[in-house]
Amino acid sequence: MLKMTHLSKVYRTEVVETYALRDFNIDVKEGEFVAVTGPSGSGKTTFLTIAGLLETFSGGEYHLDGIEVSNLNDNARSKIRNEKIGFIFQAFNLIPDLNVFDNIEVPLRYRGMKAAERKQRIMESLERVGLASRAKHYPAELSGGQQQRVAIARALAGSPRLLLADEPTGNLDTQMARSVLELLEDIHREGATIVMVTHDPELAARAQRNVHIIDGQVVELSEDPRFHPAQVAAGEVRG
Amino acid sequence: MQIKPILAAMRHHKAGTVLIALQIALTLAIVCNALFIIQQRIERMARPSGVDETNLFVIRSDWADKSDPQRIDAQMRADLIALRQLGSVQDAAPINSFPLLGSGWDNFIKLQPDQVKMTTDSAIFFSDEHALATLGTRLIAGRNFTASEAGAQQPRDAMHAAQVIISKDLAHRLYPDGSALGKTIYVTMGRTPSTVIGITDTLQAHMTGSWAGPYAYNAVLVPAQLLNDYTYYLVRARPGQLDAAMRDAPKALFAQSRMRIIDHKDGVMTFAQVRQRAYGPDRGMAILMAIISAVLLAITAAGIVGLTSFWVGQRRKQIGVRRALGATRRDILNYFLTENLLIGIGGVMVGAVLAIGINVWMVSQFEMARLSLAYVAAGVVALLVLGQGAVLAPALRASHVSPVEATRSV
Repeated sequence: MLKMTHLSKVYRTEVVETYALRDFNIDVKEGEFVAVTGPSGSGKTTFLTIAGLLETFSGGEYHLDGIEVSNLNDNARSKIRNEKIGFIFQAFNLIPDLNVFDNIEVPLRYRGMKAAERKQRIMESLERVGLASRAKHYPAELSGGQQQRVAIARALAGSPRLLLADEPTGNLDTQMARSVLELLEDIHREGATIVMVTHDPELAARAQRNVHIIDGQVVELSEDPRFHPAQVAAGEVRG
Repeated sequence: MQIKPILAAMRHHKAGTVLIALQIALTLAIVCNALFIIQQRIERMARPSGVDETNLFVIRSDWADKSDPQRIDAQMRADLIALRQLGSVQDAAPINSFPLLGSGWDNFIKLQPDQVKMTTDSAIFFSDEHALATLGTRLIAGRNFTASEAGAQQPRDAMHAAQVIISKDLAHRLYPDGSALGKTIYVTMGRTPSTVIGITDTLQAHMTGSWAGPYAYNAVLVPAQLLNDYTYYLVRARPGQLDAAMRDAPKALFAQSRMRIIDHKDGVMTFAQVRQRAYGPDRGMAILMAIISAVLLAITAAGIVGLTSFWVGQRRKQIGVRRALGATRRDILNYFLTENLLIGIGGVMVGAVLAIGINVWMVSQFEMARLSLAYVAAGVVALLVLGQGAVLAPALRASHVSPVEATRSV
């Protein structure tokens, strides 16, 4: 589903080159629930933005659902983002001027979907996240957990092949975080492929597989000098 | 098109939206009326005078000794003989006023001596049998004055003109069936009836103001030179000899008598200068209206650019989210263009009503014509195009916001 091979991302200024990702390799199979962990500045978000075609990369290969994406133009990348990828952001990223219904409708409109189908999908996805009664509410009228559920509904409404979640519980309290995570687990059980970036080991532990990033490369968890088995077991480590 | 969500989003930016819509409305209302005024002034300035403007010039001679009308009469006759003898001059005539001068005599014209209400108003030009040839105005019916018919009178004398020549517009106004020739008319200041012996082709009156619009081509030629404190000599140069004639004529007059004043600045004027002077206020008004329109349009365009740029800056994250959710650059561009179009449509709808309202008020207060709806339609299109043009640059900037903005924390 998602395969990056020797991928690199370099930020260049006049005086310095900074590698955000270097010789980065990852292979996420269809239906997997993968947590990508790593300390701040390790390249987790860069990985996610490249995976989600929000940014281009400097070298290597990236196949998404069988498509080599490096040579795609902006329109083609937009189309893939719209049709194959569902995003769940840490800050929810709902559009404050639009109500819940209209927020979920945004990607469906860009797909050129007919109004009747849009409405059906929106209501189905709202029911899926338990917020069908809040369709006319504005984001500011919802709790953080509800907003994240709306964001998940927006991601689900387009029936994406891949769900990318960036710290989906980062802005939520424990109870709301748990309910959002349970929702993601439900979605995964129904067959969705989920890649979740988090620095929360507890959250990562709920995923099927963990991929750890340090200095822009995938490494074994044991290679992270901050992680020691005793600390991990005691739950003392936070990224 | 995403009109519904754009309208929904606009409800959250009411102040800016309403301000820009109002600015568009006011601009449309003012610019429509301004352009209408400009067009009217241009039309007025382009009206034909009916005289041979290319070869015609005017000399104003103020008499140093104004006490003796008979001497003035004799001097004028001598002056005219001198002018007509110049090789560069085709013909010359005395006249109290002439087309486009701006000042002169106008009088009520009646068809019956006891008529209370005037039939129309007309310019009264006192001249002689050389007037038509000098003006370059053709007779379309009847005959010219004879030398024996041409007399003289003082300004305070009652007019005694047994024969008059009138312009075709006046003839039509008095006798719409076309039978003015040979008929009797009454000039209010005259005590005796006047018979129409000739009808000229188009001949413009001296008055150019908007009040005189209905009478702009009404002219009565009276065969008498007016013995006033000054006189105008209309001089028609031979083709291509205007400059020479303008040099020769004042010399010839001073050779006749130095007891006169010919202003060195505007004592001798080409007809082009007369026209320039006559329509100065119209030209000034047209330029002022054009400047006001241009400034208003520029301010409105700047307002749209400013507000849209502000909105783009304010919504960078939202644009990034839309891009992340699949919007193409064209989708983002279209979003801002559509948003502007909707605001513009709201603005021009109010503006169209305002434009007509302002015109109705001006028609009731001033000598104004009714605003043609074509101007409102053209203004609507122009404002909408201006809006789309103004929003283009910030909208293009918005369309280049990267989708990665969605992942940036504010």
